[in-house]
Amino acid sequence: MAQPVTLDRASQKDVLLTTKRESLWQDALRRLVRNRAAVIGGVIILILYLTAIFADKIAPYPYEKQTLVDQNKVPAWMLKVFPTMQPYAKISDKYLLGADYVGRDLFSRIVYGTRVSLTVALIGPLISLFIGVIYGSISGYFGGRLDNIMMRIVDVLYAFPGLLFIILLMAFFRSTLARPEPGTFAYSISQLDARMGGMLFIFIGIGLTAWETMARLTRGQVLSMREKEFVEAARTIGATDLRIMFRHILPNIVGPLVVAETLAIPGYITTEAFLSFIGLGVNPPTPSWGSMISEGAQVIRTYPNQTIFPALALAITMFAFNFLGDGLRDALDPRLRGTQ
Amino acid sequence: MRTKFFLLISVLVLASLVLGACQPAAATPETIIQTVVVEGTPKEVVVTATPAPAAAGPKVLRLNMGPGDIPTLDPSLATDTSSTQIIEETSVGLTRQNEETAEVLPGMAESWDVVNNEDGTQTITFHLVSNIPWVRWNGKEVEQVKDCNGNPRYVTAYDFEYGILRTLNPKTASDYAYVLAFAIKGAADYNGGKTEDPTTVAVKAIDEKTLEITFTEQAVYNVNIAGMWVAHAEPKWLIEGDDCTEARGDKWTETGFFQGYGPYTLKEWVHDSYITLVKNPFWPGLPSVPVAKIDEVTWTMLDEVPAFAEYEAGNLDVAAVPLADMDRVKADPELSKQLAIGPVLCTYYYGFNTKAKFVDDARVRRALSMAIDRQSLIDNVLKGGQEPAQWFSRPGLTGAPTLDKYPDLGVKFDPEKAKAELQSYLDEKGLKVSDLDITLMFNTSSGHQKIAEAIQQMWKEYLGLDVKLANQEWKVYLKTIRDPQATPQIWRLGWCQDYPDANNFLREVPTKGGSANPAEGGGFNWENPKYEELVVQAARETDPQKRVDLYAQAEQILVYEDAVMIPIYWYTRVTVTKPYVQRTFSVLGGLEHIEKWDITQ
Amino acid sequence: MGRYIARRLIYLLVVLFVVSAITFGLMHAVPGGPFDREKALPPEILENLNKRYHLDEPLLVQYGRYMYDVFIPRITSVPPKGSVDDDFLITVKLGNVWFKWMNFGPTYSSRSRTVNDIFRQQLPVSAQLGIMALLVAIIIGMPLGILAALKQNTIFDYLGMSVAIFGVSVPVIILGPLMIWIFGVTLKWFPPTGWGAKPPFVLGIFPRDLSPEFFRYAIMPSVALGLGSSAIIARLTRASLLQTMREDYIRTARAKGLRESLVIVRHALKNSLIPVVTILGPLFAALVTGTFVTEVTFGIPGMGRYFVTSITNRDYPVIMGTILLYAVILVIANLIVDIVYAYLDPRIRYD
Repeated sequence: MAQPVTLDRASQKDVLLTTKRESLWQDALRRLVRNRAAVIGGVIILILYLTAIFADKIAPYPYEKQTLVDQNKVPAWMLKVFPTMQPYAKISDKYLLGADYVGRDLFSRIVYGTRVSLTVALIGPLISLFIGVIYGSISGYFGGRLDNIMMRIVDVLYAFPGLLFIILLMAFFRSTLARPEPGTFAYSISQLDARMGGMLFIFIGIGLTAWETMARLTRGQVLSMREKEFVEAARTIGATDLRIMFRHILPNIVGPLVVAETLAIPGYITTEAFLSFIGLGVNPPTPSWGSMISEGAQVIRTYPNQTIFPALALAITMFAFNFLGDGLRDALDPRLRGTQ
Repeated sequence: MRTKFFLLISVLVLASLVLGACQPAAATPETIIQTVVVEGTPKEVVVTATPAPAAAGPKVLRLNMGPGDIPTLDPSLATDTSSTQIIEETSVGLTRQNEETAEVLPGMAESWDVVNNEDGTQTITFHLVSNIPWVRWNGKEVEQVKDCNGNPRYVTAYDFEYGILRTLNPKTASDYAYVLAFAIKGAADYNGGKTEDPTTVAVKAIDEKTLEITFTEQAVYNVNIAGMWVAHAEPKWLIEGDDCTEARGDKWTETGFFQGYGPYTLKEWVHDSYITLVKNPFWPGLPSVPVAKIDEVTWTMLDEVPAFAEYEAGNLDVAAVPLADMDRVKADPELSKQLAIGPVLCTYYYGFNTKAKFVDDARVRRALSMAIDRQSLIDNVLKGGQEPAQWFSRPGLTGAPTLDKYPDLGVKFDPEKAKAELQSYLDEKGLKVSDLDITLMFNTSSGHQKIAEAIQQMWKEYLGLDVKLANQEWKVYLKTIRDPQATPQIWRLGWCQDYPDANNFLREVPTKGGSANPAEGGGFNWENPKYEELVVQAARETDPQKRVDLYAQAEQILVYEDAVMIPIYWYTRVTVTKPYVQRTFSVLGGLEHIEKWDITQ
Repeated sequence: MGRYIARRLIYLLVVLFVVSAITFGLMHAVPGGPFDREKALPPEILENLNKRYHLDEPLLVQYGRYMYDVFIPRITSVPPKGSVDDDFLITVKLGNVWFKWMNFGPTYSSRSRTVNDIFRQQLPVSAQLGIMALLVAIIIGMPLGILAALKQNTIFDYLGMSVAIFGVSVPVIILGPLMIWIFGVTLKWFPPTGWGAKPPFVLGIFPRDLSPEFFRYAIMPSVALGLGSSAIIARLTRASLLQTMREDYIRTARAKGLRESLVIVRHALKNSLIPVVTILGPLFAALVTGTFVTEVTFGIPGMGRYFVTSITNRDYPVIMGTILLYAVILVIANLIVDIVYAYLDPRIRYD
């Protein structure tokens, strides 16, 4: 873009100080890579996504394969970890982490379960960030009557209890689309949902209820930012609203947003677990960590392996997302630009 | 700035102080949010949902009811086992089932005369036990209820008449009124709103000790129905009020108001938390309902898993065993000794929509039914020692066939024969197994899912047939399987006894217009005149053996010849009981007769 | 300020109206009714039940009836009857007339109770649990976040944040049974299940007696419920404090030669609280209403169960009641947050 050199850029001292000019994002990336924890987190997430994509290559058994005689069997090493299982556990080393109540390989199911949890972890934040940030920044930036109206709308939507709303929505979707006529839109939607193991409506439900938090947070941040001196300065020299928004305000508030969003990811994943707990989760026999944990929690005293390992998978994912989120926050903080 | 910050902090601190130190020192002034404080409610506060075991002193039994509040203690309105469990302890019907044999014994009626009328109806005259008082818990002890003249109120035939008519009153909107509506002459018209005159119902208290009921059919189970909770005596003065009693309406069953006359009476009902019954010292004891030995019984309202934890912590005396923990319990030297598996009069089954594609042929249905290895399902998935069901009416019901007399009746696991049946169908239609597109639907629940997944696997293994699974949320599911258009090919349901007679299963469920076979379509979508004739004939048959024979013939049509349903298993209950509890084991779907239990220590 | 609050309260009415209309429409659009049972009811019985609960009327009439019962106060000389149809949340005797307001209707699943009974007997338990959990979350979360921020990139930071992440990634579904097993059954430190207070409650919320026994019952569920939220608070505190510490005025304060502890307490902490406070409102509402799993796991007689079972049972009045209640709690919680917000950051104005 052929832009005249504007003074507002000069008002940011780091530009003056850096000899080699970098874009915000290049700089952020550079600093992200230096953060070891974030890199590890990123690598774990990458591995998890690869696992999700190549689940059928990695898993030793199909996730739905039942072998009734092998139910609840555990490999021999498990008894060393959980000695309480000694008196009753049946041993079979065919299964890496043991088999579940109908003799399905736990490891394979955890591997396939990656698909559900990581898709939720990807789509949930995307939907809520996309809608929430746009909505919140418009409202916060322009303020006044527009802000008032927009925030009242959010408040109304916000006043719906998210989970209840999801439950109602899912019951509504699943039942009204239970048996549509072939060829209709409803039919293709329900086919898509069936192919996704019932995940589609979970996404829609979560997406429709999650963005309002983001919008409120964004607005709050924008509100406090737009009073800042450098924004005032940019405005006085005639920068456009869009430019102020994207160039000055968003980079300054992206930290808290990213943190909030990475913090929300566990929420999305546990929402799926909760829905499984009350019987509205993914369709059986599609495995998800949430459904495995909530089923396993019933046997936590007898066969702890059936819930500990999916929970471990969940915890590792959480750690990875959090470390990456922290790294992103530090990297995106404009006041840290050029440092380190 | 600083002050504001500290203000905030102090607000936070204050909030926690308020929380931490909120003593109810001052009496709450004119509470705006109305709280139902019942006169005579004991004032002690500490809730011990699970009181410590009493060494000497009163004998206290601690049980668990299952999650969620008890829906009602009103006999006219009860539909579920939690409610009826309490009702059967706080009041007694004209007749009373023996909980271990399901036999019908005299209850509040010590004897009765049966007269078969010429018009096909039957009049039974019940002679009531006298001098059984109404009682209530007054906050300190159980006391007799007095009438306006200060005399004790005794249970009379009028109270029973009132109870039955109140159940039938359409304004009461009782779910289970239909049992009485079909059985008692004139009751259907009154309950259905065709007449508003309750005297058209053939229930008549002749005097305080005599109640006359005319039934529409000359059926042996009429005395069963007369003993059901919906026909218990009810305190009219308390519900509707009289000169000296305030009307309590819907709330008459709450703590402090409640009046009953059974071996126990209500002491405290903390909704969603626990309910406590206390021994009724004025209960004289009847041959079928002895005087209670245990002074107080508390039921908590916990899920199975936390309840079992409480049992292991020593805070419950009896608990159901979560099936997931069975392996551990069986291996545990202590728990395994406390384990008991008892029958329950319920059947788990899959039904066919007999008009739906592919399953509209009895051979396919038989094949699917015979290809289920029920024993393996029980041993590997259910684990509760359930019995493989060969037919629908669970043995133990009056009139139901038993396995020792009819070992070969109905369906059994037979993969060879199943395959042959399916092959004969495929050959006739010129189809391959892979052409069959069959869906099994159940309501969303991990329990049903485990069973469905295991059965799906069996069909694949023994028939080479891929059956699809689908599930819907419970209420949506119920609509679907009763919808003439939408009923899936195979669906799941269960049935538990309302009264212990095969009639309750074989006539009230699969006949046209029955519970699982709606007249307007859906459900089984099935009608077989021969079957209908058999069950009606059996209802009227008085010779017990001939009756069983008739029901056996009906079963053969239902589960084999027409094979409209796949009986899967007969229910059992797996419980652990502390060794110091002397108890009976009820077969009545969890309905225990606590008055026969004792605690020895 | 007063005008602002008044306006927000009026606006609460609008929210309630919209929320009730959408909920009412949605719940009736979901197939299946309250009286669809495993044992199908004969049509005559169904008709009696529908008539009893006015479900035979057109939907619009039902909605109108509901809104009338809930929102329009009555003044009558007839004392309240014992009927579940005549149970008003606010019933005050004024001389010889009765002022009655807010009848949320009977519940279908319990024939002798009303939605108001649930509000009186179950809601306080959930509120107690929610407040305790929020306190747990703040007590654990804030110091952890502050410590982590002040000692950024040290072992305290990593350890603290790991604890926080652990808290959020182990859901109550696992934590509950695990705690019951370890502290309830094996060590017997706490009662495995139950709640140490029962109705009636002081001021409609507080237990009548705050004995050690109450806390013995409350500790495990509060920690199980609050731990996840403590992670949210810890991480938000950390992030926000780190950001504040880099502000110019902190630098100025330091340059003035103020002691570091004074800088942190007087300047940094206060400003870094803003995002944390933002989240407390919704968090509180979520804690009060999101107690289903905790309540089921620990056998607590709260409202959480009704949020879920009312929908699965199609218990229409309870669905409406719980959702409206949630809306009220949330709007008021957010209002309080906004006021605190203005306190903390005077640059925010009410326009």
